[in-house]
Amino acid sequence: MAVETFAAIDVGSFELGMKIFEFSKKGSIREIDHIRQRVDIGSDTYADGKISYKNMEELCRVLREFTRIMKSYHVEKYRAYGTSAIRETDNTPIVVDQIRQRTGLEIGVLSNSEQRFLDYKAVALKTKDFEKIIEEGALILDIGGGSIQLSLFENGKLLTTQNMRMGVLRIDEEMMEMEPKISRIRELLSEMTEHHLETFRELFLGSKKVRNLIVIDDYVSQIIQKRAAYANGGESGHNTSRLEIAQFNKFINELHSKSQEELSGMLGIPEENAKLMYISAALVSEVAQMCKSDKIMAPGVTLCDGIAYEYAQTHKLIPDTHDFVGDIVSCAQHIALRYNGREDHIKVLEKLSLEIFDSMKKMHGLGARERLLLRIAVRLHDIGKYVSMSLLGESAYRIVMATEIIGLSHSEREIVARIIKYNYDDYEYQDDKHGHNMNEHIDESELVIAKLTAILRLGNALDRSHKQKIRNISVSHKDDLLIIGVDCEGDITLERNRVDRCGSFFGEIFAVRPVIVKKSSVKK
Amino acid sequence: MGELVNFKDTSFYTNREMSWLSFDRRVLSEAQDKTIPLFERLKFLSITASNLDEFFMVRVASLLDMVNAGYKKEDIAGLSPKKQLALLDKATHELVKEQYDVYRKQLIPELAVNHLRVIEHHEMLSEKEGAFVDRFFAEQVYPVLTPMAVDSSRPFPLIRNKSLNLGALVCKKNGGSELEFATVQVPAVLPRIVEIPVGTDECGADSDGIGKSIILLEEVIERNIRKLFLNYDIVCVSPFRIERNADLTIEEDEAEDLLKEIEKQVKKRQWGQAIRLEVEDGMDARLLGIISDELDIEPSGIYKIKGPLDLTFLMKAYGMEGFEELKYKKHVPVDHPRLTGEYDIFEAIREGDILLHHPFQSFDPIVKFVKDAAEDKNVLAIKQTLYRVSGNSPIVAALARAAENGKQVTVLVELKARFDEENNIVWARKLEQAGCHVIYGLVGLKTHCKICLVVRREEDGIRRYVHLGTGNYNDATAKLYTDVGLLTCSEYMGEDATAVFNMLSGYSEPITWSNLALAPIWLKKKFLRLIGRETQNAREGQPAKIIAKMNSLCDPDIIAALYEASAAGVSIDLIVRGICCLKVGIPGVSENIRVRSIVGNFLEHSRIFFFENNGKNEVYMSSADWMPRNLERRVEILFPILDEKLKEEAMHILKSQLADNAKAHSLKKDGTYARVQKHGASRYCYQEVFCEEAKQKEKATRPDPIANHVFIPREKV
Repeated sequence: MAVETFAAIDVGSFELGMKIFEFSKKGSIREIDHIRQRVDIGSDTYADGKISYKNMEELCRVLREFTRIMKSYHVEKYRAYGTSAIRETDNTPIVVDQIRQRTGLEIGVLSNSEQRFLDYKAVALKTKDFEKIIEEGALILDIGGGSIQLSLFENGKLLTTQNMRMGVLRIDEEMMEMEPKISRIRELLSEMTEHHLETFRELFLGSKKVRNLIVIDDYVSQIIQKRAAYANGGESGHNTSRLEIAQFNKFINELHSKSQEELSGMLGIPEENAKLMYISAALVSEVAQMCKSDKIMAPGVTLCDGIAYEYAQTHKLIPDTHDFVGDIVSCAQHIALRYNGREDHIKVLEKLSLEIFDSMKKMHGLGARERLLLRIAVRLHDIGKYVSMSLLGESAYRIVMATEIIGLSHSEREIVARIIKYNYDDYEYQDDKHGHNMNEHIDESELVIAKLTAILRLGNALDRSHKQKIRNISVSHKDDLLIIGVDCEGDITLERNRVDRCGSFFGEIFAVRPVIVKKSSVKK
Repeated sequence: MGELVNFKDTSFYTNREMSWLSFDRRVLSEAQDKTIPLFERLKFLSITASNLDEFFMVRVASLLDMVNAGYKKEDIAGLSPKKQLALLDKATHELVKEQYDVYRKQLIPELAVNHLRVIEHHEMLSEKEGAFVDRFFAEQVYPVLTPMAVDSSRPFPLIRNKSLNLGALVCKKNGGSELEFATVQVPAVLPRIVEIPVGTDECGADSDGIGKSIILLEEVIERNIRKLFLNYDIVCVSPFRIERNADLTIEEDEAEDLLKEIEKQVKKRQWGQAIRLEVEDGMDARLLGIISDELDIEPSGIYKIKGPLDLTFLMKAYGMEGFEELKYKKHVPVDHPRLTGEYDIFEAIREGDILLHHPFQSFDPIVKFVKDAAEDKNVLAIKQTLYRVSGNSPIVAALARAAENGKQVTVLVELKARFDEENNIVWARKLEQAGCHVIYGLVGLKTHCKICLVVRREEDGIRRYVHLGTGNYNDATAKLYTDVGLLTCSEYMGEDATAVFNMLSGYSEPITWSNLALAPIWLKKKFLRLIGRETQNAREGQPAKIIAKMNSLCDPDIIAALYEASAAGVSIDLIVRGICCLKVGIPGVSENIRVRSIVGNFLEHSRIFFFENNGKNEVYMSSADWMPRNLERRVEILFPILDEKLKEEAMHILKSQLADNAKAHSLKKDGTYARVQKHGASRYCYQEVFCEEAKQKEKATRPDPIANHVFIPREKV
């Protein structure tokens, strides 16, 4: 068969979703089925940290049904992910294991940033002219149940991505206490969100406007799509046309005075969704106002799309139309900028560290993903000084751990944070909680941290003065020496001394000692 | 101006029961129509009788329930249940009288002329004939009879719904003068019509030996009643028949197991309250008194019949051998021109959408569609809704076969199809045993849509083939009912069909629909929008037109929307076979609406809708009528016809029906119907025309071996 069938399963907090896709050899992705079933495991988790027996049973029942459907489509590959409700249970590994035992499905658990990154991937890969749109400037507003995610693009680059705890369900819950009429919702919502959105605006936008607003959500998207398609004279559905913001606002104003029941009738959506739809619409409107957008679009992607696009992209089943690694790096760069990271130093350090990394492939055995983590660590390595000049490592660690970097999982973020910490502080081998040495079964990520720390330290040593004396290096390996040929005119005593000092840790990790050899002197 | 009119004014509406009765009257008028072959007229009379039975068991029963429950809500025409019952009471008695007038004054004499002698009373048998039926009684009837006498020690027996019985007053021989009630059911296992062989009597058959004599079974039993009550003297004997309340009110939310609940209900139904008692006119008053007291029947529920009770036996009479010249020549459905000879159904669908019009065109392709899917190795799944299927349905067999072949088969079996539950349960179990995933309907909703989805894995990926229809997946009724169906593999239709089955399986609704509109959530709004669009166009001075064909029209919102459209100047033609609560010709309200009803040889069953849409014509078909129950309490589908050629085919159907001047009745201002006048035009019977056209179309595609000088060897069967 020229076609591969794939299933993407989203074990969401309030709903289970599965999409069946076909990947063709020509590099296209086609959705052939979308099944959704409400199972509210979120309320359990958020209330007492555990999923009730009843909901667990229901969850597994539906997942078993899903496997039946997968079988009927002869699905070859699948990816299943749990999000916050699974992530935030007290016993995530046990929940995952129970699901595995009862359904045979292997569930991965996504951190918020990974989840949003997948949504974003789906948008980037599914939207026609995505590159053009982000070149014009765009904000992706990803509305979830608990929080919203804002991802800002300028000149085709991802500038920042911020999570705010203003998801539709959360807002709905808060509002429920006030029992407002539909007509009051907008006003209240505006008060609730104004402060956060203003902060975002001050930090990242200033007086600039963002031309395009891209919405990802479960409620208002379909309506934006229909309106956009209608406004552009096209057929409804399967469309990513843009809607003028004025038209969107006109639409919201029409809904303003309606009851929940009338909304449901008008829009042909279940009554229970009508209010959430309105909240979603009002959120969109607030954000649009904040970033002064002209146009709005809703590609109608779900996490399932993200899962499929991620799979297709990493397995090279679709052409790379967007540089996602570039997004992560660019995002890290903007975080560094915010904490006064030194751009000139970072640039040289990145070059040196990657040079070392690339030339040592046989010694460290790490891959592209770890190379990316190293790049991020380099970008962020000196942000600690923003908080404290003496606690550089600890401060940087804390900043990184508190900053979402889209596309990195939680554990990857911790790797980055610890690499940075150990760049300044002594490396600590991790013991388990009972004080036993874990060397016998050392964690993969510990090795990564140790190796990348050693490389970062060495790179840093080479630009110790932060004067970029050393710009080009060549690295070679001879016996127990790692020979770093430097092309440099000035005095490198300080750097040489630093390299010697970090040499012992480097040796501990790679069993080689780094030495600096001045190339210019060799020539002469 | 128009805004001032309240289109929901009850005076603008006709009561649905009265409208239904006038439909039955239209059927009766077919029985009176001398241009129709005599035996066909028997059939129509039989239909009026079985229709009326159902009407009593369901509609009248439910009105009685309402009255008993003190429910006073007025209907669409502003009538309380009590007032409706009063109206119906008068009208049904009249209708029954007309039925028997037709039977006795027209059909019986004409049958005699045509060599079929119906012996109305056993007293009219000749001696030889009498001897024959007595022997017949002794050999065949007596062994299956269960006579029952009632006295203080034996309670009044259960009289089964719709069963025919003989009631008698008897008096113990030597036991004095006390009268006792006795009864015996006319056994349903024996044919009602007893044929008396030719030659049994000199006047039974014509001299040349053609012709027949028949007598009804109850007359044979009555003649021999003494043999059943040997120790008694028979004072009087007379047939009677009852109908009971059959309305199933299943507490769906409470039923643990819907299936069991229905089985229980079916058994219970025989015990429903008796609502109608038919007795032979002239029944002894004492006998009538006992029966009506015991059954607790109101005087208005008693029908004194001048003739045999239960005219549905005429359907059996129709089936009697001989008399073929008194029947229509049987129409054999012909092949669709694109589906002739040996063909690959999937390939045919890939070449373009196919519109099938039954019974003019054969239903076989649909059976083949499921059968081939069951055997095709590339087919992954078959999903289908089943409402009423024929006994021994080839579709059910194919679905079972598909499951055995390892395909994923999902079948939604609607158990709530009225009077059909027992039948449905049996084959639903059969499917389950074969490994199909059977869904036994939805709680609180009847699944009435007719849709079949075949998921097939092809070289370039999954392709979905969909059949959508207006009629049930029933190969037997597909020969008698006019229905339309669409075969397509359009991507959007496939997506929607998949979503339909996801919803029916209990999953959430899809985020958007591309082509289909579903009741009970979206369909009514869609219709109102489509009608409203025409209204808007008319107001803006654009051409605006609606043609809609359906079985019944009684949804007040739809009717109000049609009134508004008519008031705005939309030209509206409605072809409504049965109930129509809309009134025509109301000044400022419905002057632009014309309603016609076609009652023909085939039962009109298709639902087709045309909207002019300012030149961008839209044609839809649906499983739904414009009735609240279809639009609000059932799962129904409206599907568009998108292919321009097929749109023309659909329009041809509508236009031909509007041109019919043979079988069409038009609704008058006063609420009555009258046959459409020819006004000098030649006779145009659309059903006949379509039989002929279907044949011509098929012929045109059939290779002519002689003309082509090419002989094609037949492939092994």
